[in-house]
Amino acid sequence: MTILTTKTQLLNPLIQLKTPLPLKFRPKMASISARLDNSQQQMNLSVLRFTLGIPGLDESYLPRWIGYGFGSLLILNHLLGSDSVSAAQLRTEALGLSLAAFSITLPYLGKFLKGAAPLDQTTLPEGAEQIFVMSENVSVAQKEALAWATYVLLRNTNTTSVLILTQGELCIRGYWNLPDGVSKDNVLDWFKSNIEETGLSDLRDTLYFPQTADAEFWNILPQGTRSVLVQPVLLSPNPSMNYMGNIEGFFLLASSMRYAYNEKDRAWIRAVSNKLRNERRTWHFDILLQS
Amino acid sequence: MPIYVGGASLLAVLFNRAISGIAPVADASSSQSRADLLTLGLAVTNVLTGLVWLSIRPKSITPVEPQGVECQEIYSHLPESVVSEILWVWESLSAVTCCKSLVIVYDCQCIVQIGVAAKSLNIDEPFAVDAAKLMQGSLYQGVLKSGAQSYMANLSLYPGRSELPFLPSNTQAVILQPLGDRGIAVLGGDTIRGFTTSDQTWISYIGEKLDATLAKYMSSMPSVVQE
Repeated sequence: MTILTTKTQLLNPLIQLKTPLPLKFRPKMASISARLDNSQQQMNLSVLRFTLGIPGLDESYLPRWIGYGFGSLLILNHLLGSDSVSAAQLRTEALGLSLAAFSITLPYLGKFLKGAAPLDQTTLPEGAEQIFVMSENVSVAQKEALAWATYVLLRNTNTTSVLILTQGELCIRGYWNLPDGVSKDNVLDWFKSNIEETGLSDLRDTLYFPQTADAEFWNILPQGTRSVLVQPVLLSPNPSMNYMGNIEGFFLLASSMRYAYNEKDRAWIRAVSNKLRNERRTWHFDILLQS
Repeated sequence: MPIYVGGASLLAVLFNRAISGIAPVADASSSQSRADLLTLGLAVTNVLTGLVWLSIRPKSITPVEPQGVECQEIYSHLPESVVSEILWVWESLSAVTCCKSLVIVYDCQCIVQIGVAAKSLNIDEPFAVDAAKLMQGSLYQGVLKSGAQSYMANLSLYPGRSELPFLPSNTQAVILQPLGDRGIAVLGGDTIRGFTTSDQTWISYIGEKLDATLAKYMSSMPSVVQE
């Protein structure tokens, strides 16, 4: 008989973060705990794993192999068995074969569990170049705020390209497909004209396209974009106050992964968009002080 | 779910043997017994897989309402832009994470104390933060030395708890975020292991930003007297 050993794994609650987590690092044994971070709270991290103790063997497929093995043994038994096959034996074999079939499909079903397999990795869009442009007439404080916001969004979320429009000023960073005729100076104008056409500046609610969609503004996004999040920058903290002039602009985030932004990511992106709203209030205050 | 399948088939096999009038002896001599054994093995595999799935399913942990007084104290000599940034940090943290208390100590003084704070002895006032004592304590020194964030997911397990008397007594989780090498931000949460990994990374970036902002303004101010 094979020997089954159980291994419980309790992650040390004191977690030291030396550097920001590299986005796609997933060690094998802790793979379950990393996947489970998608939900709101941190999971209870003691996981029961059955392992044969053979390194390099993926135990999650064990039921499948057992299903194949035992199923074939059952069939062998049936064929090589004694002459008269009793009804009881047939019943048992039928039961056994259906169990074997079930075991074979178990790993496939297991993928649908909450906290199951991670999504596809981020791939860089093809033919896109990395750019970082900002409108000219922005104050130093605004420049810093925009630079920090784009930097943190690109590093911390699955974003490959980000575009921020606030108070008519643009900041674009990340991987974008620029058409051939556009030189470095015309980049901003090209983006501005395209965005005016899309009407995204009047957006009030957050738009999230977790999979490739046929939206109008998709043509300015780099090729290979799979999910898009558009977050309006609202002036008032209460989004239900919908009077005109309340919208500052928007954030456009594109990623080459599907379902790139989960609940928590979206909440943080909302928080970052509020930062730019605050900046504006401060500039007005400073201007008032100076005048 | 496989547990039910496995358990049911286990019983079915035994039942089958019972009603077929075969002696309940588990030897592999007759083909019937062999078939039974194989089916039993499959049933057991299913039960075990079901157990593994159970353990993968997340266990929900309930948040614990922190006991203390609400406060919002910000050092008064800060410029408007810094105050609005701090308020933004607090707004984001309290909205997105399970953070319920925030204390920022910079350049040996307590700059910010927002959220729920422990009550002072006998009075209904928030417990004042003794910045000097905090900075001499082992928690701060450790964080300063490593330069990295420290996450205490279950505060009751840590002896360093005594160095944070200003947090509500039933704070469940704490993140200590160093702000450069001049300050520290203490975030208290209301759920054990309530801060996810993505929260931690965001908090470390926000800490860097805060440090940059505070450093710029603190250096341009004359040395202040600690109240």
